Amino acid sequence: MKGTKKLILILLAVMLVSSCTGVDGGEQTPEELIVIRLPMGYIPNVQYAPFYAGMEEGFFADEGLAIEFDYSYETDGVALVGANEIQFSLVSGEQVPIARAEGLPIVYVLAWYGQYPVAVIAKSEQNLNSPQDMAGKSIGLPGLFGANYVGLRALMGYAGLEEKDLTLESVGFNQVEVLAADTAEVIVGYVANEPVQLAAQGYDLDVLLVSDYLDLVSNGLITNETTLAENPDLVRRMVSATLKSIQFAVENPEQAYQHCFKYVEGLEDANQEVQTQVLESSLALYQTDPYGYSKPQAWENMMEVLLDMGLMKAEINLTEAYTNEFSQ
Amino acid sequence: MKPWVDNLRKIGFLILSTVGGLILWHLFTAYSNIPSFIFPKPVEVWARLITVLADGSLIYHTLVTLQEVILGLALGLTTAIVTGYFLAKSRLVERVLSPYIVASQSIPIVAIAPLLVIWLGPGILSKILTSALIVFFPVLVNTIVGLRSVPNELYDLMRSLQASHLQRITKLEIPAALPVFLGGLRIGATLAVIGAVVGEFVGADKGLGFLVNVGRGLYDTALVFVAVFTLVLLALGLYGTVVYLENHLLSWQKRNGE
Repeated sequence: MKGTKKLILILLAVMLVSSCTGVDGGEQTPEELIVIRLPMGYIPNVQYAPFYAGMEEGFFADEGLAIEFDYSYETDGVALVGANEIQFSLVSGEQVPIARAEGLPIVYVLAWYGQYPVAVIAKSEQNLNSPQDMAGKSIGLPGLFGANYVGLRALMGYAGLEEKDLTLESVGFNQVEVLAADTAEVIVGYVANEPVQLAAQGYDLDVLLVSDYLDLVSNGLITNETTLAENPDLVRRMVSATLKSIQFAVENPEQAYQHCFKYVEGLEDANQEVQTQVLESSLALYQTDPYGYSKPQAWENMMEVLLDMGLMKAEINLTEAYTNEFSQ
Repeated sequence: MKPWVDNLRKIGFLILSTVGGLILWHLFTAYSNIPSFIFPKPVEVWARLITVLADGSLIYHTLVTLQEVILGLALGLTTAIVTGYFLAKSRLVERVLSPYIVASQSIPIVAIAPLLVIWLGPGILSKILTSALIVFFPVLVNTIVGLRSVPNELYDLMRSLQASHLQRITKLEIPAALPVFLGGLRIGATLAVIGAVVGEFVGADKGLGFLVNVGRGLYDTALVFVAVFTLVLLALGLYGTVVYLENHLLSWQKRNGE
């Protein structure tokens, strides 16, 4: 009994000391910072270096913001922004017209990538020199949805190919392994990722960028109509901090890369050469002119592709889908 | 109470519970102001169901998943029964294989599924194997428990009757182990559906898992609901089939109990 009393007293004392000194292991966010939960659409990766750098260099804090990175599915981020549960998400460009056509009031406010990041990739013996060369080949892609599928269909449209002219294989996010094992002759992937990984393994590749054939709206930052109407200042601050972060990463790639170690678990054990190349390829994508600007023609082209694919049933008013007001 | 009255009451309660659930669902979605892409109304799901039934896509994708489930179930059952028989009969085999089998169960199927796509390709085979893997363990355990539950006196009886090895299996072990085995099959049948869908989620261009992915990709939540309800019906259908088999195959037990 005496022992129990002693134990309770010790526990109480520990709790008291903990509460006084804040020994909770958590990082305290200054009260004035607004925490923005930001779905990134992919796993922690060096391609997000500008955001990591922006946090570490204080660009977000300067605007009174702190980013809480969320690596859940891209579509979940879009739905949450559409429902005004969160204010921002990073998504690929095709999601905006598709979601708006389904009634989600989302608005694209900043171009994160200047060009559509999808490419078709093949080992050089496949002689993939133009989109027409995909005819008759087996094409491995994550699934018949998302940016990879849209990019492939855009290239197919350019080449006058239909789905019956080639074999589409839904292989999940295993494109690198599938091409290495010759399970598919051609794969569809992100230009900053799969080609870099495969080249590092010694494969000689042919890579066709979708953006070399058709200008499509690319990955960007979205918000919703409610936030735009009720809190445009928050949007302005978020866009401003992101633009400064992008500029910093482009001008200081080595420093940006160093900031990734805090956010990308296991990066220190990864192949540093490959990871640096992933960042270098991504840096090329960030550079829109001016930063954050999305081209009206790219939106028109995207809608045309989506309508042609049947992913949208009717045209939408594109002027409501995006704005360059905050990035200029 | 007459059996048909009892059956009628059961059906009545089922209809009441379903209608009650639908009314609650409708009231919740109508008055909570939740957008359709987050939680669609029952009427929207119904309308979507009619569309996919009319264009034949729901039937097509359901048949694909059903094929994967049945083949996965068949493969999982066969492997589990054969392995289970040897494990039940030989302590040595059990000691050698058990650590691997138990360890394999701690690996989440979602972690294995992408590897199966790489090893076996994106076709139906990877889905069948995912389904078989998830079915394997519950059936295996119940096969072992069922076979080990056969009383030694009955083995003595078979020996005294000079029964052959085959007769011992067909006349004693199978009937004696059947009740426990069918219990495992009930679980396995429903798990087989989950296994096939996990495989389809990872990489597929057909099947109900693919339909869920399409619905999510297009923010067509009503389509997701249609696919999920179809999966539930599929699992219930398989479960019901096993219960029917149980009633049919174990009718001798009831007769003996009367």
